[in-house]
Amino acid sequence: MQLNGSEIIAECLIEQGVDTVFGYPGGAVLNIYDALYKYSDRITHILSAHEQGASHAADGYARTTGKCGVVIATSGPGATNLVTGIATAYMDSIPMVAITGNVSNDLLARDSFQEVDICGITLPVTKHNFIVKNVKDLANVIRKAFRIAMSGRKGPVLIDIPKDVTGAVCEFTPEKPETVVNPLVSGAADFAEAAKAINASKRPMIYMGGGVVSADAEKQLLAFAEKIDCPVASSLMGLGGFPSSHRLFIGTIGMHGGYETGKATDNCDLIITVGARFSDRVAGDRNKFGKDATIIQLDIDKAEINKNVKIDHSLVGDLKDTLANLTEAVDETKHDEWNAQVSEWAKKSGVTETPKSENYAHPYHIIEAVNALASDDDIIVTDVGQHQMWVSQKYKFEKPRKWCTSGGLGTMGYGMGAAIGSAVANPGKRVVLFTGDGSFHMNLNELATVCSYDLPIMIVVLNNTVLGMVRQWQKLFYGRRFSQTDPHRKTDFAAVAEAFGVKGMRIMNDDDAEAVLAEAFSLKKPVVVDCRISPDENVLPMIPPGKTVDDMITEME
Amino acid sequence: MENKQIISLLAHNHPGVLLRITSLISRRGFNIDSLTASPSGIEGYSRLTVRMSGDDNEVEQFINQMLKIVDVKKAEVLPEETSVAMELALVKVRSDCGNKNDIIAVTSTYHASLVNIGDNSLTFRASGTPSQIDTLIESLSPFGIIEMARTGIAALENGDASLTEQ
Repeated sequence: MQLNGSEIIAECLIEQGVDTVFGYPGGAVLNIYDALYKYSDRITHILSAHEQGASHAADGYARTTGKCGVVIATSGPGATNLVTGIATAYMDSIPMVAITGNVSNDLLARDSFQEVDICGITLPVTKHNFIVKNVKDLANVIRKAFRIAMSGRKGPVLIDIPKDVTGAVCEFTPEKPETVVNPLVSGAADFAEAAKAINASKRPMIYMGGGVVSADAEKQLLAFAEKIDCPVASSLMGLGGFPSSHRLFIGTIGMHGGYETGKATDNCDLIITVGARFSDRVAGDRNKFGKDATIIQLDIDKAEINKNVKIDHSLVGDLKDTLANLTEAVDETKHDEWNAQVSEWAKKSGVTETPKSENYAHPYHIIEAVNALASDDDIIVTDVGQHQMWVSQKYKFEKPRKWCTSGGLGTMGYGMGAAIGSAVANPGKRVVLFTGDGSFHMNLNELATVCSYDLPIMIVVLNNTVLGMVRQWQKLFYGRRFSQTDPHRKTDFAAVAEAFGVKGMRIMNDDDAEAVLAEAFSLKKPVVVDCRISPDENVLPMIPPGKTVDDMITEME
Repeated sequence: MENKQIISLLAHNHPGVLLRITSLISRRGFNIDSLTASPSGIEGYSRLTVRMSGDDNEVEQFINQMLKIVDVKKAEVLPEETSVAMELALVKVRSDCGNKNDIIAVTSTYHASLVNIGDNSLTFRASGTPSQIDTLIESLSPFGIIEMARTGIAALENGDASLTEQ
């Protein structure tokens, strides 16, 4: 059939199973938005307040569904506003297709109005990108973009389309989407060697990451961990990939991980890394990480092997397959003594909590109260900073794909968009966004979107009136010189919420917390809860950057 | 062990592929001595030859990272002992009437041919392995090298093997 470029985009999206896109219209995408009008019965478009919000929404949609997120923006500033969202998705291996309009072919390379080389700009933060100069190439480029985004190690792909291409007509033949198959790279001998190392180990531990969630390999990991009976620590990205309440789970690993995960890492004789990448926030000193341990790494991306830490045995391929094969190959065993030792360390993990106050609520108290109200199917989103770390320490994640946080890029302002994407993707589920006053200030404009679509998001602002994480580092490493971390803002977040048409509530101290949160949660409507937190609250324990568990800080002030 | 290695790449000759490769080299901090790009003789593909400094782990990382570029189809080390690696150099040497014969004596030892004569200079063309070219340049430098241009390495595996067949 003869279709124009914009209709081809819509048809290809439907072909790929896309029913929801996020975006913001503009001059160079007028044709695309005209097609979206025509296809509105099959493709729902969610309009954000700013393109950055739309890009994070596509990311939240992808994280909570496992599907590819789609975002559309116009040329020039529309496209550049996507960059932070694309980079966030790239660092966390989140599948996304970003479609940008550009000026028409005859205006390209002439510094035309709202022209920017978005392919050049996004080159280091996409798996691949395309500029489509001929409508005849369009359908296949879109198909290829989805295949690249969803195959191997997932990630964002950008397609830049000049305006004349979106209006040009050509023949379109529908095609079925290809099924993505990730071949197993490692062979039987590799599995045998890894199994031998595991069978010989007396003190093994598993260090899991976001790859487990990305590969939907949570069942395979559980079976593996139970068969070899060893402690499981998770990176920030891995949370939910292994049930937090499981007897083998010992919490997050790294800078703000528990004492027991740090001690286990230092004292184990084997680390089995599953879908994780030894980032500097996990392996602070990469030469001393697991210094006495043999290290096995399971990953889909061969380039992760030996990138940061020297690996003894690697298994490359889809985690579902590698974990299943490895589970098959290892002996069933018990590590009672070692597990008991790790539990002993956990008892010493205690961090002194700040005393109760009339003027402030304690962040752990708020997080635990929300945890008590929410079900395992509700979705928890964070921004970036102290609140993010407190949630990662305290919240119990029992299922995968219920957790959205910017791990690799650490994008303040990520949360609002991601919460919107999660809420749109999961009708009937509750979404809780934990944010800080710093992060919330960055993209609270998206309250307009939350209101437009009446999304049942509970926004919990852990408001300490300062840029707490940076301030904590200034306390520790910069002689308490609080440069630009106390902005003296007077923002009344509850009133801001009301001004956007969203209910606003306040928590002044721990005594308020349960009742206010219970009311907010029962509303099933958008609501902002402004919680007053002490500016002096710290995230502890903390392993200083570049250091090991021996240098762990458990007390401050 | 830190050493020089030659890596041969086959890539789709799509627009921007050279940018993708060089951007990755710069972003990941790989230390390269030379990079050449040329037609590969296979329709739609370019051959890129990179000479880099680094230990075995860095070379492995380089190859694994290159293979993540969608347009890069092959990336392999060409071991020195089983490959031919050549480059071409043009060297312009300062020359007055008195030392012309001395210069020509040096260059003929290295099979460099005289391609241009200026009022106060001689330009030679030399081809050979990178170390042969290095030695030639070293021998000419006492006369004064005005400028030079080197093409970077072109390299192929010895015998019947080819990147495409692996």
